[in-house]
Amino acid sequence: MISNRLFMRLLAFAALVAVIAAVFWSQNPAFLSGGNIRALMRHMSVQGLAALGLTFVIVVRHFDLSFPGVASMGAMTLGWLIASGAPFPAAIAGALAVGLVFGLVNGTLVARFGLPDIVTTIATGGLAVGFSYFYSNGTSISQNFFMSGILDLNDKRFLGLDMPFAILMAAAGMAAVVLHASRIGAGMYATGQNRVSARFAGIATRRLIVLAFALCGTMACLAITLLVASSGAANVTAGGQLLMPAFAAVYLGAALFGRPSVGATLAGTLMMSTMLNGFTLLAIPYYYSDAIVSTVLIAAIAIFDPRLSGLLTIRRKAAA
Amino acid sequence: MASGTRTVLDMRGIEKRFGDVKALGNVDFDLDAGEIHALLGVNGAGKSTLIKILSGVYTKDGGSILIGGVQHDLGTPRAAIEAGIAVVQQHPELVGDLTGAENIFLGHEGARPGLFGRIDRSGIAARAEALLSRFPIQIDLSRRVADMPAVDREIVAILHALRLENTRILILDEPTSTLTEREKASLFSMMRMLRAAGIAIVYITHRLEEVFEIADRFTVFRGGRNVACHTVTEARDKAISIPVLMLGTGEGLTFPPRMGRADGDVVLEAEGLTAAGFANVGLTARKGEILGIFGLVGSGVDELSKALFGAIPSTGTLRLEGRDVRFRSPADALKAGIFLVPGDRRAEGLTLDENVIFNTVAANMSRASLGGLMRFGANRRAARELAQMVDLQPMRLDRALRGFSGGNQQKVVIARGLYRQAKCYIFVEPTVGVDIGARSRIYALMREISKDAAVIVMSSDCDEVHGVADRTLALYKGRPIEGATDRDQLLHAGIMGGIAA
Repeated sequence: MISNRLFMRLLAFAALVAVIAAVFWSQNPAFLSGGNIRALMRHMSVQGLAALGLTFVIVVRHFDLSFPGVASMGAMTLGWLIASGAPFPAAIAGALAVGLVFGLVNGTLVARFGLPDIVTTIATGGLAVGFSYFYSNGTSISQNFFMSGILDLNDKRFLGLDMPFAILMAAAGMAAVVLHASRIGAGMYATGQNRVSARFAGIATRRLIVLAFALCGTMACLAITLLVASSGAANVTAGGQLLMPAFAAVYLGAALFGRPSVGATLAGTLMMSTMLNGFTLLAIPYYYSDAIVSTVLIAAIAIFDPRLSGLLTIRRKAAA
Repeated sequence: MASGTRTVLDMRGIEKRFGDVKALGNVDFDLDAGEIHALLGVNGAGKSTLIKILSGVYTKDGGSILIGGVQHDLGTPRAAIEAGIAVVQQHPELVGDLTGAENIFLGHEGARPGLFGRIDRSGIAARAEALLSRFPIQIDLSRRVADMPAVDREIVAILHALRLENTRILILDEPTSTLTEREKASLFSMMRMLRAAGIAIVYITHRLEEVFEIADRFTVFRGGRNVACHTVTEARDKAISIPVLMLGTGEGLTFPPRMGRADGDVVLEAEGLTAAGFANVGLTARKGEILGIFGLVGSGVDELSKALFGAIPSTGTLRLEGRDVRFRSPADALKAGIFLVPGDRRAEGLTLDENVIFNTVAANMSRASLGGLMRFGANRRAARELAQMVDLQPMRLDRALRGFSGGNQQKVVIARGLYRQAKCYIFVEPTVGVDIGARSRIYALMREISKDAAVIVMSSDCDEVHGVADRTLALYKGRPIEGATDRDQLLHAGIMGGIAA
């Protein structure tokens, strides 16, 4: 019965993607070209990694608004380390460490000290943006990029997939194991749905919340690493473009599949990236994209939220 | 009171189902103008479902409702208010920082138009005066509600419900539960005045002695049906027993036989245990027996259970199998071998959106996982075995807990405890919202568990404590009272704070 419902949801999702793709294809046949699909998958990789990290925080029913700022700082840390001659694995480790530290700070402030998550993460995100200016007074960094090997992260292929997409798939696989097959994930869902009962079941709720924030920060910095690798330069505004699409992907996915999960987030990301890519092909100016993403997000939540649809049926009944 | 002459409410054949659970089946209920009508029944008998239908919170599945002779559907709270029905909740939600008068007209301040329109304070005062002239009650409505005694807050809530001229039916949900005897008397005098003004009052209470003191008629609910409706005079003349009506005789509770031994190993011992809500409690729980603790709501039983489980801090001595222990969190207590079946299973005991398997293994993740990964197959098998043992109905392991009745949700909490394999089980209000069939099963399970572990049962249901426990203790206002030898003494100890002569 339950798998039946999942099947229906998958079917609805596939139909939705097909309709969107068909519309774009009818406007511009280049939409389904091999080159464009690869571009779409690259775009999806960056957004998807950030959204996967955010998924953990949403599962424990918190918010993280700091990850775009943290990602910017991660990008600048990466750029600075490469520019100063560090080997690129060390530079990437440095970037991820930034995400990890900020995530741990966020999680500790929220879970241990009970600070409100939204305000706290806005503040830590602002702090991270401030720090990101220290390296170069805000100018973008691209020295040594060609020599360092970081560009391979973007250009190489792995098992026939572009490297960024392969990294997304590997990260998604690991995230799925953690969230859906481990006691950590079970504890996270229990914590998110009912903090008190989770505590009464002996689940270390605070530790899991800290872990969720840590994963979110780290994965945002991994996402930004791919973006830096593809653009060949690190700049202080890099992270800003992660915020809306990540939230949209998680919520759209959760709306489509009934709850936040790794699969739902990937589905949400695919839809967001498809739309953004399509609008780019149709030469709709990029500054509209945030507006489009936001509209889709609100529409999706409204259509799929069970309480809202329940309300609509009650209204209809009352009207009848 | 002349009854049957001016019927204001006539409900016929009301039906209501929640999923597989029939909450109300073919229920009739009527009210006369100017009567106080007590609505009685044990938890889960269907009283609150009826009230929620009457106040438009739930929609009925079948039946008809006539108010003042006119057919009403009452699909929404607004429709109920327009039909003249007002409800005062058990714990009325008032704004402490506003005065009594401001609370009464909250949302109807009669402000000048516009968001920043000044609130018409003199107008409110005048309307409050007008209300008080209709219902002459001694109360100072210009005081802040936070500074008022409990009974005045109750009166403010009632006046709030009566602020509309057309209110004909007033529903009071356990208004006396937080009042002292003196306060109760002044509430009752207000109720008599409202009755004289022609308002029909539905009065829900668990204190049966109040029925004879204030009510004209009473209706008893049992298992989602209206089983009796009598006038108080009639009941007094014919010596009708309300408890028998409430509990029923045919399908009475069956308690499992006692074990009759008190020589098991001591598992949990407390001495001078003190926390917010209770003080200086000593108790001993032995393997092979059930220790029962009777205490009303607010007596400290809930706090005591949480202190034993490490969920709230406490001082005093706690010994587990002879060794001093101190639990700083429920995780500590679980590790040591204590399991709590909490009083509020929906808020504290379960993850309602997850399925039976998840909820069964949740309190013992180390057993449910191997190297950090969940053992899906083994967990399903264990959950099925335990679900069969607790007799889960229906046997749907993949269904979210939200889809089960209260009794079956409780069985899953017990299955979770069994999966944990604890040394001492603490049950708090184990059968609230549990139907009679499931209750007997739960009592039998407790007895079963007590063969291998110590069991402590804490409840505000004296018959439950007396029926299921080998030894009993009462808690009155946070103070333990020992020495009750029979049910009546235990009841007296928990309600009055002493042993009756």
